[in-house]
Amino acid sequence: MNAPEHILVAENVSKRFEGRVALDNASLKVRRGSITGVIGPNGSGKSTLFNIIAGTLTPNGGRVLIEGEDVTGASPADICRRGVGRTFQISRLFAEMTVMENLVAVAHGIDDRTAVQRAMELLEFLEITAIADKWGSELSYGQRKLVEIARALMLKPVIMLLDEPFAGINPRLQNRIVEHLKSLCARGLTVFFIDHEMRIVLAECDQVYVLAEGSVIASGPPALVRDDPRVLDAYF
Amino acid sequence: MPITELLIGGLLLGGLYALMACGLNLIFGVMRVINFAHGELLAIGALSTVSLVAGFHFPFWSALLLVPILTAAIGLVMHKLVLQRLAGAPMIMSLLATYAISTILVNGAILTWGGGYRGLPGVLSGSVSVLGQNLSISRLVAFAVALGVSLAVWWVLEKTRWGRAVRSVSQAPELAEISGISIEHVRNTTFALGAAMAGLAGVLMAPTFASDPQLGVRFLIKAFAVIIVGGMGSYPGAIAAALLLGVIEVFGGYFTGAVIGSALLFLLMLAVLLVRPRGLLGVGART
Amino acid sequence: MMKPIALAVVLGLAALAVPYFGTEYALSFTMQLLVFMILAYSWNLIGGYTGYTHFGQVCFFGLGGYVGALLIQNAGMRWYFAVPVAALAGAALALPLGTAMLRLKGPYFAIGMFGLTRVLESLVLGFDSVTKGGTGLYLVPLDNLRPVYYALVGLAIVMIVGTWRLDNSRLGLKLLAIREDEQAADSLGVRTTRLKIGTFVVSAIAPAAVGALNAVYLGFIDPPTAFSPVMELTTIAIVLLGGMGTVLGPLVGAIVLSVVNELLWARFPEYYLAIVGTLLLLAVLYMPRGIVNLGMKRGWLPAGRSLFRQLAREGGRGRPPVAAPLVPDEAKRAEA
Repeated sequence: MNAPEHILVAENVSKRFEGRVALDNASLKVRRGSITGVIGPNGSGKSTLFNIIAGTLTPNGGRVLIEGEDVTGASPADICRRGVGRTFQISRLFAEMTVMENLVAVAHGIDDRTAVQRAMELLEFLEITAIADKWGSELSYGQRKLVEIARALMLKPVIMLLDEPFAGINPRLQNRIVEHLKSLCARGLTVFFIDHEMRIVLAECDQVYVLAEGSVIASGPPALVRDDPRVLDAYF
Repeated sequence: MPITELLIGGLLLGGLYALMACGLNLIFGVMRVINFAHGELLAIGALSTVSLVAGFHFPFWSALLLVPILTAAIGLVMHKLVLQRLAGAPMIMSLLATYAISTILVNGAILTWGGGYRGLPGVLSGSVSVLGQNLSISRLVAFAVALGVSLAVWWVLEKTRWGRAVRSVSQAPELAEISGISIEHVRNTTFALGAAMAGLAGVLMAPTFASDPQLGVRFLIKAFAVIIVGGMGSYPGAIAAALLLGVIEVFGGYFTGAVIGSALLFLLMLAVLLVRPRGLLGVGART
Repeated sequence: MMKPIALAVVLGLAALAVPYFGTEYALSFTMQLLVFMILAYSWNLIGGYTGYTHFGQVCFFGLGGYVGALLIQNAGMRWYFAVPVAALAGAALALPLGTAMLRLKGPYFAIGMFGLTRVLESLVLGFDSVTKGGTGLYLVPLDNLRPVYYALVGLAIVMIVGTWRLDNSRLGLKLLAIREDEQAADSLGVRTTRLKIGTFVVSAIAPAAVGALNAVYLGFIDPPTAFSPVMELTTIAIVLLGGMGTVLGPLVGAIVLSVVNELLWARFPEYYLAIVGTLLLLAVLYMPRGIVNLGMKRGWLPAGRSLFRQLAREGGRGRPPVAAPLVPDEAKRAEA
């Protein structure tokens, strides 16, 4: 069977919160193996869209398709089982467990030894082996972000959804994360994220979507979007 | 089946439940604290009334004023010493704390008043004829005062400046703080008021029911059932549910006996939690 | 690895030796200690590890007690058959109950279970034609209570070893994940509903068995003994004070509280509730994770869940280079 070119599709997704329209017929398509970023000013609806894709919110209208299958309204657990890994904007690590335990806890289908090995590999890959035995509650902001990513990767996802992965961390760490994500993409992972950091989105993404007031106002490769008058308008 | 008699009996009981539940709800609404010790405040209210009236020969109406002040003071101490420190912690922590406090209070009550039952014979005794029914004066007075105070507190919440401050703290604490409201002050006064209401319910109960230190636990479950059915955080919901449940309990008791009758309320509460966790009018309880 | 096993063996032998070498007093003290330990270890599973604290542990104890007592009294069953049946009854109640109640958020679940206990108590009081209600049910006393004692010791050992195995397993980590952040765990594929309910059912088995054993030992059961709020309070205090979600926590807590219990009943029985309540309150305010967790954080005690650290260390020695891809096979991608 031919896998669809677009691993993730959102079709005319709409969401209303008590009279306020958060999303109005927003659509996007994410190519397999690409890095796709969604940006938009505050209140643009990007968080809402993200959460609908991840399954934590149900849309009022429209569909979400993963690998060609309709997953609209599916629970976060269902979505996860379809090969989607996600991180949280405000990191939700398991505080009273060590980093290693945080990773091993979500592994399934493999035995303990393999799980630990996989966790060690991921920690090495992200260059954070030193904090393996630290408690979740003891980590710095930047370390939390990295552990969140490692934890989602434990599930061997086909697509990673990252919720503002670059917010609040220094540029050097941002670049490191970008490096890691890129090397994962080279091995077949699809990366989808929302963020405020225009610099990174415009520099590193294959495809960019710009949201404003609930609708997609521009999309395409960064070069195109960067100079789009509507985007400039929305931000400045 | 003496429908009118049961109905009236249920409503009269419901009035008392309303007072209990509204106090509990007020505390929950403002502080997101489920006061497990609320029942004990009721019991202490009832037993203090017995001491005051039967022991020290104060007139009953004075108990209506003095006892709620006592329970308000106890509530204030509870809040300042313990609950304030747990302000940011998850709800289960304050629940555990109030659970612990309730056992301390029960012990205190047993030490002060002994474990047995006390009645208040001769106070508000007798009955009047209303609509062809013989109604006991104590129940009528209890109903009138309980419902009256519950409605009065509701009025205060809706119409006065303090009431607005309370509502804004319960809905949006950060905004309330910015607009100059002292959250600590609001929480203190709310807890004290809720505790006073429990105490008052105890005073009203003393002439009608036999009071003992274990009274608290029995009424607490009923008060919880009321707020859950009415919707946690909803004041009018609590009043409506209280009257409803009072009636259900009395009717249920008629058919199955008092003991199983009170179990009915709890089963109803469970059913509501599972089927419509928001209750009639409130905030959710599901994961 | 050896130290905990050695400790367990010593304690086990000591416990077994009590009926032979100890006094009557030592025997009854150890019995009560064992009962509290078993209740605490059970509560620790659903409250300490999974994070669903509740005030209704004693309803399984009471249920098991009455089921056991009625089977022995009315059906003429031998106690060693009645006890396992009582245990099953506990599990049988816990399954539908857990499925329904565990959908509720923390405090509502806690209160719901509390209410349920009161309801069960009311039902037992109400159906007094069967249960003899408030008068209580008397059982024909056994000639030899030693086997009952040994059953308790056995059960306690099973609970401790079981908790130890759980602590050092991925299942244990998943339960902790549910406690720490259920929604996040669910989003990451942990089967939270299944695990919650399963743990709840398991946490009901031992209390039900102990309830039956207790009834046999005392030769008597009545609603206040079966559904004792004091017992509930003590169980929770034990786990909170000792350390929620640890292997040694309930043991430490049970010992501390049994000692407190003994001292109090000897001298100040009328202050029991207040003192245990105060201990619980102090624990909630200043040491919510308990003595054992505090000890682990401060380094007095070896940190728990050592299996994974050990596997990591083993894995670190002379490991082959990273061969397995971190993302699904290139081959699969080539198919597209």
